[in-house]
Amino acid sequence: MAILSVDNLSIGYQTKKGMLKAVNDISFSIEQGRSLGFVGESGCGKTTIGMTLMGLLPDNASILSGNINFMEKDLCDFSEDQWRNIRGKDVAMIFQAAMNALNPVFRVGEQIAEAIVTHNPAFSKNEVNDRLKKLYNMVEIPEHRISDFPHEYSGGMKQRAIIAMALACSPKLIIADEPTTALDVIVQDQILKEIKKIQQALNMSLIFISHDIAVVAEVCEDICVMYAGQIIEKGSKREVFTSPKHPYTKTLLSSYLSLDSDENILIPDMMETPDLIDANPGCQFSCNCNCRSTECSKNAPGWIDISKTHKAFCCEQGLSRTNNG
Amino acid sequence: MHKNHYLKRFLKGWKIFIKNPLGKAGLIILFVFMLMALASFLVPLLGPMYDPMTGTDPNIKVSTGPSFSHWIGTDNVGRDLFTQLLEGAKVAFIVGLSSAFISIVIGTTIGMISGYAGGFIDAFLMRMADIIMVMPSLVILLILASIFGQFNIWIIVFIIAIMRWPAVSRIIRSQTLSLKNRPFIEASKVAGASNFRIIFRHIMPNVLPLAFLYMTFRVTSAILVEAALSFLGFGDPSQVSWGMMLQWVWKTGHMFQAPYWLMPPGICISLLTLAFYLLGRAMDEVLDPRLRKEGQA
Amino acid sequence: MGNQKFIFNKLLEIFIIFFVILTLLFFLFRLSPGDPISKIVDPMLSPEDTLHMIEQLGLDEPVHTQYFIYIKNFFSGNLGHSFHYGEPVSNIIMDKLPCTILLFTTSTILAALAGVFLGKISAWKKGSGIDSFLSISALICHTLFIPWFALLLLWGLAYKVGWFPLGGIISPELWIENSSAFMKTLDVIHHMLLPLGTLFFIHLGSYLLLMRSSMLSVLREDYIITARAKGLSERIIRDKHAAKNAALPVITSVGLSLAFSINGGALTEQIFTWPGIGRELIFAVSNNDYPLAQACFLLIAAVVLIANLVVDLLYAYLDPRIRY
Repeated sequence: MAILSVDNLSIGYQTKKGMLKAVNDISFSIEQGRSLGFVGESGCGKTTIGMTLMGLLPDNASILSGNINFMEKDLCDFSEDQWRNIRGKDVAMIFQAAMNALNPVFRVGEQIAEAIVTHNPAFSKNEVNDRLKKLYNMVEIPEHRISDFPHEYSGGMKQRAIIAMALACSPKLIIADEPTTALDVIVQDQILKEIKKIQQALNMSLIFISHDIAVVAEVCEDICVMYAGQIIEKGSKREVFTSPKHPYTKTLLSSYLSLDSDENILIPDMMETPDLIDANPGCQFSCNCNCRSTECSKNAPGWIDISKTHKAFCCEQGLSRTNNG
Repeated sequence: MHKNHYLKRFLKGWKIFIKNPLGKAGLIILFVFMLMALASFLVPLLGPMYDPMTGTDPNIKVSTGPSFSHWIGTDNVGRDLFTQLLEGAKVAFIVGLSSAFISIVIGTTIGMISGYAGGFIDAFLMRMADIIMVMPSLVILLILASIFGQFNIWIIVFIIAIMRWPAVSRIIRSQTLSLKNRPFIEASKVAGASNFRIIFRHIMPNVLPLAFLYMTFRVTSAILVEAALSFLGFGDPSQVSWGMMLQWVWKTGHMFQAPYWLMPPGICISLLTLAFYLLGRAMDEVLDPRLRKEGQA
Repeated sequence: MGNQKFIFNKLLEIFIIFFVILTLLFFLFRLSPGDPISKIVDPMLSPEDTLHMIEQLGLDEPVHTQYFIYIKNFFSGNLGHSFHYGEPVSNIIMDKLPCTILLFTTSTILAALAGVFLGKISAWKKGSGIDSFLSISALICHTLFIPWFALLLLWGLAYKVGWFPLGGIISPELWIENSSAFMKTLDVIHHMLLPLGTLFFIHLGSYLLLMRSSMLSVLREDYIITARAKGLSERIIRDKHAAKNAALPVITSVGLSLAFSINGGALTEQIFTWPGIGRELIFAVSNNDYPLAQACFLLIAAVVLIANLVVDLLYAYLDPRIRY
């Protein structure tokens, strides 16, 4: 039984020029204890998905169609009060620490304790402190740093504190939005391992959002590749990595340098960004696709099953053409 | 080509500016006051009776309310209040604009030198700016008046300007700091340009728009300080101003009897300040796109 | 600790600045046209007393000796004799200081608190009727010409309606009658309300506008989203997470706008005949009582410098990122 299933979800931003469809008709689901990664360039709608699942869309954004089923409840018609009840308790988010996610004028421990107290108002002070210490041990920050201020933490420690904050109420689902982007490689690696370890130990579901396909591959079992508000390929990590089908996925993977091969790396020019307000009727990627036909920009592509778990959103010709070329 | 570029930038800014309702309101108020100030030059044509300082109506011995020959009334010796008001508008503009201009010149120069020179000069100049910034200008003008006696209007303008440069220089300094390490400055340094030339030829054109934005805020404070000084009776005694009109209505004990005398100068000072303030805010939005978004969303 | 060293350095700096101000004043005074003796020694004194005074102040000595005597006198608390009162100015200004401090701190603190509170509401309800009402009123308060506003209050509330006294700080008859301390306090408050209201509204406007824009930019910060993601209620987000950060710039501006406040304070004291330092300074300048004017000025300068130190320390106390 999937803990979260999203069907045909579309989300739009009201802008001055018209409705901008940031997320266009996407479907996915995630089982208890599994991890799912979203990869795509900036502006492809992956953060919007994360924010929707937290009920934190900005005022000018709205769900246009589709439904979100989380623990057998439809999140789309949740009231603000209902949202507040599950936010931080059943579904939590790991933010990027570099982006000022911790309030500079309060002690870190106090900010994490807030999450515990809000959802467990009956907890005594000692219970809260015990939980706080447990969390600090879990994310491997020394306990004596509980009463420090955010500016006294290093980048990696801030990120760990934010993970602890998300874990505060042992949520069923954790959404991690680019949690390691601003960290240096070694710390990034530590944090990713940490996230993976905790996720498996606590048997939580994880949605991991990143622009870096290598990072996603390190953490996730399943991968969705996004482009211009749509999922264009999904499958298990191995499937997507070893036999990418969609031209965009191939582009993404080939731009990922590897020292092992002597091959010339061919990064195709990505000249255009598709217009999300006045979208063309056909394939959104057609403007940049190096194996497009004239049909591509007119007819919408469809899902093509490659295996039971592996699917690509393209046209038959496109897939076969890339295979040859 | 260069001129064209500035013109384009100006027109673009103007379009954003004119969309802002508060900025537009400020501009309209300002326009009315400008007409008043210009009208004050026509007053002498009406004859000596309407001179704001010396002209008295021979038929009037006490303060009277609005009438056909004196639109908003006269003061206690029969001087026309409306022409005084016009004269006050002129003085307010002179005081406000010239004092703001001087403080912008001082502030920009010191800000550029401070930012460009760095080190001890920077630390010293900025510390001095901090200290002057927290000193109350009215109080300083008062103590200077007690040493030197009453000032004429230009000295008042100058002293206000000297008290009001620090805020400008702080902003210009930070702007200069960010410009200092840009490639085009480095390039001209390598080409052997003197510091003087770099500051005035390369840095100044880039900080001037910002300096003029701050001018609007300086105008406000200059007008207020001059009005307060005149109100207390230490203004230029040979020059009618709005502050002085308020002083007369207060000192002659007419404030409880003659609302037609008490109201106009106060409204004028407040409105003109408001107009410059609104103008500054609107210009702020033109220069800072972040604020613009905030205004619309 | 670091804090103590910071305070020590600041105090030293204040001392140096004060010394510079003293020196500047001395030389400006010598530069002024006319006879300095007539400005500094009461013309009403008898010739012997005048001679004695000249000798005491060293006015017959060369300039540099005069300067040393001047500095020495200042630091031994001898600020000269007021012409008008005929007593040492230090006594006079010490009498007036409490009145000014009472009016000034009450109005500043009340206005800052109210400005922070209303600015918070205004930013939170951005675009609503309340927001427009509050920001436009604040804009008007901010640009009102203080003496005029004070005169309007005096005319409307004291003269026409008669709710408040026309000026002063006490009703003398109440004090002669030996009333209870409670009645006396009430009387002072009654006298204080109008000048307090004037200063309150003038300052409220700028604090409100500042808090509003500061709050708006804080609300865009990421930690506000984090707070929401924790499931905190909107009230806690507004009052705790946003307001504390947003109030910091307001505190800085209390220090920076002190100059403006003191100008306003002097004008308000003058109109409501509130017996404070500002009014004394204006009185001294109008009556050519230079020793008194000089003392008032120096006192105000000292208050400004110390108040800025207090604001610095308060800011450091509230913002954990700053430790001196």
